[in-house]
Amino acid sequence: MSPTKITRLPSARLLSSIVQQQQLFLLPPITPVMTVSKRSMLQGEYRRPGQPKENKFPWEKIKFDFAKGLEGIKKHFTLLKTECFERFVGPEGRPLNVHILEQNRVIWEFRGPESLEQWTVSSDREIGGQSEVYLKLGKNNTCFLYGTLSSTPPRDGETRYSGYCTMRSKQLLASFDRKKHHDWTSFNCLHLRVRGDGRPWMINIAGENYFSYRKDDIYNYFLHTRGGPYWQDVKIPFSKFFLTNRGRILDDQYYLWLDKINTIGFTLGDKTDGPFQLEIDFIGVCKDHAHTEEFAYEMNKKNP
Amino acid sequence: MKSARCLLHLQCLRLLDRSARSAAQCAPLLQSSSSSQPSVLHKNQHQLLRQFHSSPAWSKSQPTPADDHKKDKSLVTNDDLFEQVAKDVKVKATFNKVVDVFLNRDVRRRGHVEFIYAALKKMPEFGVERDLTVYNKLLDVFPKEVFVPRNAVQRMFNHYPRQQECGVQLLEQMEEYGVMPNVETKVLLVQIFGKKAHPVRKYQRMMYWMPKFKHVNPFPVPVQLPEDPVDVARFGLARIANDLDAKVNVYQLPCTDITETGEEITIPHVVGIQSPSQMELLAKHNPNRPVFVEGPFPLWLRQTCVHYYVLRADPPEEKVEEPYDPERSLYYPLQLDVDFGRDLGDEENFDVEDLDEGPVFAMCMTGRGDQATLNQWISGLQENNPMLGQVPTLFRVNAGPQELSASADAESGQAHRPDTKTRSGEKLQRDGEPGVIVEEEPQRRQGRNQ
Repeated sequence: MSPTKITRLPSARLLSSIVQQQQLFLLPPITPVMTVSKRSMLQGEYRRPGQPKENKFPWEKIKFDFAKGLEGIKKHFTLLKTECFERFVGPEGRPLNVHILEQNRVIWEFRGPESLEQWTVSSDREIGGQSEVYLKLGKNNTCFLYGTLSSTPPRDGETRYSGYCTMRSKQLLASFDRKKHHDWTSFNCLHLRVRGDGRPWMINIAGENYFSYRKDDIYNYFLHTRGGPYWQDVKIPFSKFFLTNRGRILDDQYYLWLDKINTIGFTLGDKTDGPFQLEIDFIGVCKDHAHTEEFAYEMNKKNP
Repeated sequence: MKSARCLLHLQCLRLLDRSARSAAQCAPLLQSSSSSQPSVLHKNQHQLLRQFHSSPAWSKSQPTPADDHKKDKSLVTNDDLFEQVAKDVKVKATFNKVVDVFLNRDVRRRGHVEFIYAALKKMPEFGVERDLTVYNKLLDVFPKEVFVPRNAVQRMFNHYPRQQECGVQLLEQMEEYGVMPNVETKVLLVQIFGKKAHPVRKYQRMMYWMPKFKHVNPFPVPVQLPEDPVDVARFGLARIANDLDAKVNVYQLPCTDITETGEEITIPHVVGIQSPSQMELLAKHNPNRPVFVEGPFPLWLRQTCVHYYVLRADPPEEKVEEPYDPERSLYYPLQLDVDFGRDLGDEENFDVEDLDEGPVFAMCMTGRGDQATLNQWISGLQENNPMLGQVPTLFRVNAGPQELSASADAESGQAHRPDTKTRSGEKLQRDGEPGVIVEEEPQRRQGRNQ
């Protein structure tokens, strides 16, 4: 029982990719040249444990699908048109004085079924576990995330821990399916209005990784719910978010860059089996002038 | 050079705990350091020091004291070792006994990696997974100083990778169960693996991040919840009340009665909570509109889930804003009609549609969520809130736990007056009620179904 791959659920872990670093520094001089493309040597797509490796060349992965047809073309050209003309109003379609002066912005407000379209849910059922998670409209049309957690690990020989579920926002897309990012540079804190059942959740913010080769860098922080019939206002400054990758806290920490945020997500993985529920009223960002901290953790070199 | 090595060993010993063990060892060591044979140090059963310069043949010829080796050469898996002991009670003492058996079996600790993995797997069965002393004892199984890299090449090439992985897995299990390592763990790790090895690095990471996240919960729950369900209910209700002025009332303590016919009846506990602001809201409530008892809703306190019921009313259809009584504060006005010229830059509230869900009047937790117990709660509440006697109370109670917001599919609504008896069934009562309620009920239900 000496596992080389330690698969773990996406909660805070400490070991900074010991296996991956070994592979980076030790394997290339020893192993022969593989027929897989160069990019996957460094850090390929995350392979779900139990799934076989896909040895496809990158051009084989693109899908050309004209099934959507005219509707798709219309949709993309409308988006393109709005993008072209919204610049005359101001950055991102907001007038300049709003862009400069705003102190709060509501990013996601759950008031109807179309607000649920922007979110995807996933649980460890994808790796063979038994947790379930569902998303529906709750009372007053707020988002209601509920399900059951089960921490029996799937029997695929690799996974040792299991039992998690997540809800993640979909990537914003501009015209022709280009990636669009959230720009929260004028803000300081994340403000949520939630109603949970006492379980500890984790908020994941994924930024666009431009200057780094790592793909799955996510910034995490805890969301402890109180439970009860009253709504809970949670305000978390962005300086408190710490950097993790695939569930392990990294050694070289840096503060979250707010200029290109891709997705935000909520994860539950508190090793307690049983049903859970979480209601979210809205998610917004705000500027707290009293909060001057740049980063809550040390940025010095941890492994000198 | 040999004496220098002995001094180094002595320093290592001093780093260890201030137990008498180290003090006892120092005395014979000081005597033996004067002699020229470092192999005398090997007489130590604790494997702290390792002989570097004597031949292995010499050690074999020496009779080892306390010779209780197993003479049988059959292949026994490490799991079996634990299983054999498991015929007794699975307790920390028996776990330690198994580890001692392994320690005494072989001075060189052959197969220690597999043994440690098996022990880590068996820890939850013996109930010692949160015990730091057991983890330290397990770390002690590693032979010391064998795996410390001695030159740059060894340091570069991940010296003794399987053992380092095993050490890291041990620390991972500690972290999984939230056990914080202490200085003994650090000393053991440094002695076993050296200062820059992976297990020591992992220890350093644990000591950096675990204290930062230990007290991050703004609503902390104690690790050991009280055994008494009434105390648990008290704690849970105080937590969800969101008001420090709220008062917890125990309306009924749990007890088991034996009736005349010999049947056992368990009376469940009923614990309720109400804050002064909730009492005010209830006093202002319009008596023509009913109040609802909804539940049970789940509340998780670490690993236990308790359920609570809520007494609430629907949001009022017309919001009446009472003007502030100017005599409440004589020094300054409570209401100002001055436009401060606030513009975008000063807007501090989020532009969100207000969710009006209706006021909550009280919460309770009971052992059994049936009509009779909840009636008891309502009658207990009535002592402090006489309004409850005039307001019709409807029960929207599900058999199992319910979503916090699930009033849309309210099928089990029942009309109830606190004085009259209830009737079972899922239809609305239509007798003896003012017509207002009966007509408004289905309309309101449909409104909420969207």
